[in-house]
Amino acid sequence: MALSRRVRSTRLLVISLVMASLLVITVDYRGGTSGPFEVAGRALQTVVGTLQSGVSRVLQPIGSFFSGLVHIGSLQAQNHRLQQEIQDLREKAQHDTSLRRLIDEFNSLYKLQQTYGLQGVAATVIGQSVNNFQWSVTINRGSGDGIKQDMPVVSGDGLVGHVVSVTSNTSIVLLVLDPDSFVDGRLSSSGVTGGVQGERNKDLQMSLVPPDTKVFPGEQVVTSGYQSGLYPPEIPIGSVSHVYIQDGGLNKLITIRPAVDFSALEIVLVVTGYLAPTTRTPPPSPTPSP
Amino acid sequence: MRRALSWSAVVITALVLQSTVFAQITLIGVKPELVYLVTIVLALLEGPSAGAVAGFGGGMAQDFLLNQPKGITALTLTLVGYAVGMIRQYVVTPSPLLPVFVVAGATAVGVLFYGAVAFLLGVEIGGGYLTRAALLSGLYNAILTPVFYPIIRRVAESSRTKKVFRW
Repeated sequence: MALSRRVRSTRLLVISLVMASLLVITVDYRGGTSGPFEVAGRALQTVVGTLQSGVSRVLQPIGSFFSGLVHIGSLQAQNHRLQQEIQDLREKAQHDTSLRRLIDEFNSLYKLQQTYGLQGVAATVIGQSVNNFQWSVTINRGSGDGIKQDMPVVSGDGLVGHVVSVTSNTSIVLLVLDPDSFVDGRLSSSGVTGGVQGERNKDLQMSLVPPDTKVFPGEQVVTSGYQSGLYPPEIPIGSVSHVYIQDGGLNKLITIRPAVDFSALEIVLVVTGYLAPTTRTPPPSPTPSP
Repeated sequence: MRRALSWSAVVITALVLQSTVFAQITLIGVKPELVYLVTIVLALLEGPSAGAVAGFGGGMAQDFLLNQPKGITALTLTLVGYAVGMIRQYVVTPSPLLPVFVVAGATAVGVLFYGAVAFLLGVEIGGGYLTRAALLSGLYNAILTPVFYPIIRRVAESSRTKKVFRW
């Protein structure tokens, strides 16, 4: 008697939990995540983000050197501060190769920032995705540092991804590797644009390229920076690794090796603004004069 | 109350470990699914209703840290926790290796179920990748079970209420 009541109550419990899950799926799927859901999610992300940064600080003691570097306001002030920072770090790095690697990373980020006229917030990667079906990283800067959803994220080597979720002190960045990530890319030699989509652990795929386009293996693919696009123009995405002809020559599929080494990603720049292409000096490019 | 708190601590620890330490130490590119591991072990120790509750809570927590339709992991793990708790009742001779095999199988099946639901909701999940991820995370979880099982059992026992558990 008691047993059967327990079995029945267990069944009722499971059914109601399944219904609750389905309700959340439905509400979220219809794009109605606001109110209690969002508050709960943000609270959880704050707790987990704080712990992640604690753990990653233990794992990478080098990371703490960069905690002083918080906000980058104007190019001038930032220029000064970064140079100071690099100089300080250089002194400390005489005997430390891992620190030197960070400086290199930082230096190249600084160069990229200068070349493309980017303004932004530097951040350290403190965690990665919690499951195997999303390619993302958590960074240690959030809305308190001026980060908003959809902001592009770059590293010294090129495009990293964009911000998909923000709390006051952490943000989640969806990498260009994720199949949900689409970037407008442009082939550097022909100037032809196409859509670049993530392919998980494999090379990125570029599609929607006209079949008669000439594509050279190894050529650079950069962001096209369409009007009102998410990403600033001319940021390196990667280089062409293979070209496939599909559908009997009707379609060209290009695979792209990403410029960024995502397994060793430590410092990134969240781009809060960039100078319009006309007002900045063009990046040094080997274009032959006509 | 105490039970809810200590289980939440276990789930949050699992999520943090999974996104930091185990994101670096992967098994051929695949991370373990620690929240699945926690749910399955709790279901083995505490039965179907506790397994379902732990799965729902842990799954929902994981969902809220992802940029994918929320509730899929919660649905998956509610069913996994309940099913594993039911299976436990039919095991006559408990071998010490039983948790390892149950964790391996239930994780792989759970991940496949997750992938199927996510696919139906329009998430891009390649069939080949899904199978690979399911098998490898099942294997990885099984390898980690001898490490985590005693810890989870200690937490479960210390937080167990004296009364008969009724939800």
